[in-house]
Amino acid sequence: MEREVLLEVKDLEVTFGERKKKYQAVKGVNFKIYKGETFGLVGESGSGKTTIGRAVMRIIKTSGGEILYKGQKINGDILEELDRKVIQEIQMIFQDPQASLNERAKVDYIVSEGLLNIEKGISEKERKERVNQALLDVGLLPEFASRFPHEFSGGQRQRIGIARSLIMKPEFIIADEPISALDVSVRAQVLNLLTRIQKERQITYLFIAHDLSVMRFITDRIAVIRKGEIVEMAETEELITHAIHPYTRALLSAIPMPDPKHEKEKKLMVYDPSIHDYTTDQPFWQEIRKEHYVLANKKEAEEYKKLYER
Amino acid sequence: MERETILEVNDLDITFELRGKQLHAIRGISLELYKGEILAIVGESGSGKSVFTKSFMGLLDKNGSVSGGKAVYYGSDDKVPVELTGIKKEKDWLKLRGHEIAMIMQDPMTSLNPLKTIGAQIMEAVLLHQKGSRAEAKKRTIQYLTDVGIQDPEKRFFQYPHEFSGGMRQRVVIAIAIACNPQILICDEPTTALDVTIQAQILELIKELRLKYKLSVILITHDLGVVANTADRVAVMYAGDIVEIGTSEDIFYDARHPYTWALLSSLPQVGIKGENLFSIAGTPPNLYAEIKGDAFAPRNPQALKIDFVKSPPYFSISPTHKAKTWLLDERAPKADPPPVLKIIREGGLF
Repeated sequence: MEREVLLEVKDLEVTFGERKKKYQAVKGVNFKIYKGETFGLVGESGSGKTTIGRAVMRIIKTSGGEILYKGQKINGDILEELDRKVIQEIQMIFQDPQASLNERAKVDYIVSEGLLNIEKGISEKERKERVNQALLDVGLLPEFASRFPHEFSGGQRQRIGIARSLIMKPEFIIADEPISALDVSVRAQVLNLLTRIQKERQITYLFIAHDLSVMRFITDRIAVIRKGEIVEMAETEELITHAIHPYTRALLSAIPMPDPKHEKEKKLMVYDPSIHDYTTDQPFWQEIRKEHYVLANKKEAEEYKKLYER
Repeated sequence: MERETILEVNDLDITFELRGKQLHAIRGISLELYKGEILAIVGESGSGKSVFTKSFMGLLDKNGSVSGGKAVYYGSDDKVPVELTGIKKEKDWLKLRGHEIAMIMQDPMTSLNPLKTIGAQIMEAVLLHQKGSRAEAKKRTIQYLTDVGIQDPEKRFFQYPHEFSGGMRQRVVIAIAIACNPQILICDEPTTALDVTIQAQILELIKELRLKYKLSVILITHDLGVVANTADRVAVMYAGDIVEIGTSEDIFYDARHPYTWALLSSLPQVGIKGENLFSIAGTPPNLYAEIKGDAFAPRNPQALKIDFVKSPPYFSISPTHKAKTWLLDERAPKADPPPVLKIIREGGLF
């Protein structure tokens, strides 16, 4: 069965600064996100994972490559009609619920701001109804609409952020570290909420995080990104149980597990990029196992293939 | 084996005065910190874990005060016990802060001075807390930088905080704390702002330094997942009280308090894909109001009638392990621990 591709990123490049200060944050990234799935982008700070999310969101400009949404190019200059459609259908949830909500606006306004821009002629009555419904959908009370963000806890603020996306009836949500600023017990609630919304509305997620243990729980497929390049991509369980690239293996070894005996015997792997000798034998994108891609050169690919052979 | 106690807390109460109302942040905690151990204090935001440890250093906000009980420090050079809760003057705190008890904070971005080189910041601590000339102090500073795992310390000595990454800054902050030559090191969420890989390295570093400098460490965190690797003992805190305490093995393999069960079950590491992750219903109690019975009872689906009436005492499970829950009373009905405990015990996470 051919699955429908919702978003396709082709040879994406993002560069910051000019001439001498030029810095390439994203170097030729390719991936596809299928409709209805949760695609995870995992990497450390500075890997470019947020930059990719923002490029798809069109908050920052791309310097090369294409971003196709439902087969239409959405980066660079696009027609106004498509622009409006994309604004409504692609939404983002941010990491820091303290910083991402307007401190001076009431929840009522925060949640419906996007709506006011897209559906200009909306009646006050309908707007109110939609806000109430959005708040209920994320497990908040409609009464909260008249309050200010500082009156809420971190978890509640994150729910307000989610309500503000949902009111737009999006098809695709980019969630950039939506739970890393939250307490462990609240994390569970927000993760459950995101899963429930997905089930009810068939929303597709691009989930960005640095923590593979959260990724394992929520995503269907994962791409591991390091210094602006994707080094490994596979279905979640395949990637976790049969990690190939040394960087992915280092990330996995760093996940803290709630098991003292295992943890005390565990050896922490630290990734050393100098183990790759790419001077003559250049790395390229290869399928090492079924549907499991790794960035490797010919020699490494031979070694990687032996890794899980018995 | 009897272990040497370096810090003893007895029935400590801390109250804050806010707009004429009393907030009872710490409600009668008793705790011992043994020499050379790493004790983790785990709890949600607002459970009082930071306030509790800040009181050992005289760092409570102005409107907060110790309203009962005491904390005694046994680690000073002349072997005279110091009653921390009796210290009133800032001058007396200065003798203690850094030199006896040092603290590292959560955010390495804000705890360094951006206008001074990191060498100068560490050297300041060395000069203040250790005898010797400037040249010696510089030599030691470079040694500390090496000890906390910073490469090329001679060059890094002259660099500013903005030239360091988050993980490296946290290493510098740790170096400053170590340079004060403390007996107790309090780490308040030392890895929350960091990447998972860096987090693992920093925890590893804290373990190494503990042995090298014979430190006793208090590790504060909200994430029970990170302490299995590091802590010798774990204290679980809820609403200003320690509800369960034991060795890491006690807590992870044989937890008894429903709150500890809930914390363990809500970790994404133990979640099953496609199913809802366990989450704790409700919110922590309001500490302005008097808490009747077990503070966790309103959020505990297995709560007994007595939980709402009378606060449970500690029940001892083993010499190292005790918990405050009526479930351990012999008259209580048998409560089943969540399945996740069995999975952890049998090493079923991998």
